[in-house]
Amino acid sequence: MRGWLRRAVLALALPAALLALWAIVSERSQSFFMPPLGKILATFGPTWIPRLASDVLPSVGRLAIGYVCAVLLGVGFGVALGSLPRLRALAEPVLEFFRALPPPALVPVLMLLFGVGTSMRLLVIVSGAIWPILLNTVEGVRAVDEVLSDTCRCYGITGAARLRRFVLRAASPQIVTGMRQGLSIAIILMVVSEMFASSSGLGFAIVDFQRGFSIPEMWSGIIVLGLLGYGLSLLFRAFEARVLHWYHELRRQQRGEG
Amino acid sequence: MALLEVRGLNKVYRSQGRTVEAVRDLTFQVAEGELVCIVGPSGAGKTTLLKCVAGLLEPTGGSLALEGKPVVGPPPGMAVVFQEYGRSLFPWMTIEANVELPLRQKKLPRDESQRRVSDALAEVGLADVHTAFPWQLSGGMQQRVAIARAIAYQPKVLLMDEPFAAVDAQARADLEDLTRSLWSRHGVTILFVTHDIDEAVYMGQRVLILSASPTTIREELTIDLPAERDQLGTRSLRRFAELRAHVYEQIEHAKRART
Repeated sequence: MRGWLRRAVLALALPAALLALWAIVSERSQSFFMPPLGKILATFGPTWIPRLASDVLPSVGRLAIGYVCAVLLGVGFGVALGSLPRLRALAEPVLEFFRALPPPALVPVLMLLFGVGTSMRLLVIVSGAIWPILLNTVEGVRAVDEVLSDTCRCYGITGAARLRRFVLRAASPQIVTGMRQGLSIAIILMVVSEMFASSSGLGFAIVDFQRGFSIPEMWSGIIVLGLLGYGLSLLFRAFEARVLHWYHELRRQQRGEG
Repeated sequence: MALLEVRGLNKVYRSQGRTVEAVRDLTFQVAEGELVCIVGPSGAGKTTLLKCVAGLLEPTGGSLALEGKPVVGPPPGMAVVFQEYGRSLFPWMTIEANVELPLRQKKLPRDESQRRVSDALAEVGLADVHTAFPWQLSGGMQQRVAIARAIAYQPKVLLMDEPFAAVDAQARADLEDLTRSLWSRHGVTILFVTHDIDEAVYMGQRVLILSASPTTIREELTIDLPAERDQLGTRSLRRFAELRAHVYEQIEHAKRART
């Protein structure tokens, strides 16, 4: 219990100090664009409670759908490319090209092709978040242990069982790394996609406040985004602890011995 | 009829204009229920040979048959225990799940496979670690799990590729005796590859001595020691010393013939 308390204090100390610093420095601020923290916080509730259903949830929904699609496609193609060297040789130059394109640059193109609706925004998220997931999956699948692979063959573990019980699990440390990078890209692209020709969402709300000179509201939007990102990263960490428990323990033990 | 028949086995590795003949010409048979050791100087292509027999590597020439059927790919009645125990158990599965996985693949009824798992783990002396993970066990214990997995699979032939080369001396002696006792209890046929001359003589009913690479069989030696063996008694027999010296000489010749 005491250890838990100490960790909580350690984790919260710096954020509390920074908030306090922000509050003190901004307290007498006369700048229109840098309102005092108190004023920002005062607008927080009235601004975001009504917008929860109209802006926050649609954003989070699009993020979730886009991210899940990126994970499924990234892992799916990654496994295929990782296990088939010929396919990999064929696809690699094309992949490098598409990976090098900054996803926000695709927004105007996707707007022309898919209109300004939800499908365009989902595509923007998928087109950016898929790359780290795909490439890490390829590397993870390529690096599966040869002895384990031989073990599977000897015991007749093939096809779907091999994929589920061996390949995906063996590659899971790399896949999860890719998913973590993909998640932060997905959040960025969620906001970016909402800044173009939009009428709802967090990105839209922030741009809208800025254009309407509602500066404290704009700042509160930034805080919402920060909290959202932080919450998602906590969720992701819990997911990782569950899926990669064996891997972290194994690594810790190897380090202890070496 | 021999259970396992290897005739004229040849394996050549080709890569970018370079060819290496690892195994030149191997012919031998293993009868049902036999325990045969293969011993050879290091680099004699022992692992290549074993992988070919296991159906994991395609031989360049010659033929392989298990129960009269040609081996193309890993045959269902064969299990392998690898040297690298740390890399042959699935680190994300418990001990129990590791032993059970091949049985689930065989579509055995759940209670039957669970009975086999706990019997096999009890037989290798690991009845109390079902829910541990492989990396929580010592090397010798991990190799016991790999042996339990092979036994639970109930293969006709068990291939063992230098299985105890990476465990400490004491665990090694225990594992040798464990393997001998499982062999006599289950009547499984064992092909045991090792570079350790003492181990080959102690374990085997027959020892195949390999030449240096490119490999041929230098000699087939019948081990006429009593069937009941124990670490202290057997190893201090005069006959054991003679056999050991003989194999040693042959290996030395094999090494010199190469240079």
